Amino acid sequence: MTRPELFQTFQRMASEIAEKDFASVQEDAKIAQLGLDSLNLLELVGQMERELGVQIPDEQLVGIQTVRQLLDLVERRLQK
Amino acid sequence: MRPAPSSSFPSTLVEALDRLPTGEARGFRFVGTDRQERYFPYEAMRTEAYHRAAFLSSVGLSKGDCVALVIPENHEFVLSFLGASVGGFVPVPIFPRASFKGVDTYVDTLEHIVKAARAKVVVCMQQNRDIVAQLQGRPGLEALVVLDVETGFLGQAPPFSPPRITPRDLCFLQFTSGSTSRPKGVMVRHDNLVANTTAFLGPSGLARTPDDIGVSWLPLFHDMGLIGFVLGTLIVDLPVVLMPTPTFARTPRMWLELITKHRGTITYAPNFAYQLVTKRVTEKDLGTLDLSSLRVAGCGAEPIRARTLLDFADKFRPAGFRSTALLPSYGMAESCLAITFHSLGQDMVVERVDPAAMRTGHAVPSTASDALEIVSCGVPFPGHELAVVDEHGTNVPERVVGQVLSRGPSVTDGYYENDEASAESFKDGWLHSGDLGYVADGALFVCGRVKDLIILNGANHYPQDIEWAVGELDGVRRGNVVAFSVMKDGVEQLVVAAEGHSADASRLRTAIAEAVQSAFGLTPSHVAVCGVGALPKTSSGKAQRRKTRLMWESGELEEHRMSDEPLA
Repeated sequence: MTRPELFQTFQRMASEIAEKDFASVQEDAKIAQLGLDSLNLLELVGQMERELGVQIPDEQLVGIQTVRQLLDLVERRLQK
Repeated sequence: MRPAPSSSFPSTLVEALDRLPTGEARGFRFVGTDRQERYFPYEAMRTEAYHRAAFLSSVGLSKGDCVALVIPENHEFVLSFLGASVGGFVPVPIFPRASFKGVDTYVDTLEHIVKAARAKVVVCMQQNRDIVAQLQGRPGLEALVVLDVETGFLGQAPPFSPPRITPRDLCFLQFTSGSTSRPKGVMVRHDNLVANTTAFLGPSGLARTPDDIGVSWLPLFHDMGLIGFVLGTLIVDLPVVLMPTPTFARTPRMWLELITKHRGTITYAPNFAYQLVTKRVTEKDLGTLDLSSLRVAGCGAEPIRARTLLDFADKFRPAGFRSTALLPSYGMAESCLAITFHSLGQDMVVERVDPAAMRTGHAVPSTASDALEIVSCGVPFPGHELAVVDEHGTNVPERVVGQVLSRGPSVTDGYYENDEASAESFKDGWLHSGDLGYVADGALFVCGRVKDLIILNGANHYPQDIEWAVGELDGVRRGNVVAFSVMKDGVEQLVVAAEGHSADASRLRTAIAEAVQSAFGLTPSHVAVCGVGALPKTSSGKAQRRKTRLMWESGELEEHRMSDEPLA
């Protein structure tokens, strides 16, 4: 999966979970700006795990504060 | 030799553990974050508890010393908690994860709790050891012992004779209230715990039977998960299946799948969780679920919305769910857990009252379309009393709103080493809940809060913590920030209002949202940046939360227009 594809996947899932449009969100956006609460965020991570067949342990989510950091983490886990 | 099981209840958690049946048949089942199930018969839990107690003693703990538990895996948490208990130490559960939060603010929170409890030892796991060990770099905590469960309890246990535990001994500290900088640890004694759990699981509560199975994803650092599904269930011998809270957040329907798989009979959750699964579970999922075993689906810990529970019942009726299982409850950590329960097996009682009369504190039944729906949380337990009082402490008649008070053997002695805070909430044995409610036909209806507490997704947040964090930002003047919550579509939402200059408004709005997310993991539903002097203040210049909220709700709060917004 290419990075643009991964980013699009993120946008689609975030829209489904939060019932909002994330089309204009950029990769360098701070997660705090997205209007997703901590529950939504974990649900998003769960959705990515299922759809991409990847495992993202809770402890690796500590300190993740931008969309880019989150996608970097997913990419690293995909390579494992 | 262990004493033979008797029909009467044990007097302490430790006595309860000692009395639990041997053999493989009964025990706790833990779903790990790896989704693997681990089954621990009571006997194995007991053996491991005494094993861990010996190690805790060997690192220098004595009877009555506090040990902080920052443990992300439920089975490791429970075994360490019980280890501390049988050793006569006082466990202090602390939330173990900081997903999407800044590490520094999380370590600050740990530091405040560890210091307030004067904990000498922290037990963690290897996965969070690096973060927890940062505590040793904080002033005054250089000597803190950090023990991870993987290496700390390894090998032959050192010699140790467990002390005798009496009902008046402190069982654990519950740090769910107080602001981040001044956390308050509720002192739960063994006799409080036994009184409360035998009340809410006994004949006047959920009427536990030998066939019951509890299923829960609730966090174990909070009273509803810890007492409701670990300590209380051990005291009355009620086997449970526990799954991690983040696993529920990632895959909400797993909660119901677990009930289906293990034929769960009792579960509990805050309002938001019932709403979430009602929204997320698909028609296809419904076909794989069987909730017919469930006789109690309890709801508590945050305001209960009738519509949410009725929608849940409608949605899951095809999966065998019975609406009589819905059981609205009221309680708080200062009274262990439970204060009132709706009657078992009865349909929920929902009142419709006149909103105008409610603003003056009177619950007048109404059939109008704008009537407010309020759910009955039921009646207190035998041996416990409930009162509703006005601001002078005088009892008010039925259907008049006042502060909810509770008295009885479940009510704790107050907060650990904090006489001032204890004196505010505990007076003559009466716990002052800070919640507003009224009584009708003997049942409690909770309808608001005296304090400005913000409850989001079942977690309590103090406005002053949020206001403090926002006040640190460049361009915001300390003391000119107000955080409050509003009800939107029956769900509590956070609003932050701050004074700032109009040219700076867009930047401030983003910076405030980021600061709140980073420090608390919360996303404000709205950030209002207002002109200097726009927020209502007291005569001493303190921003007024309640007045700001009223202004916001009525559209009177004047905000700077954002440059990226079209003109209205």
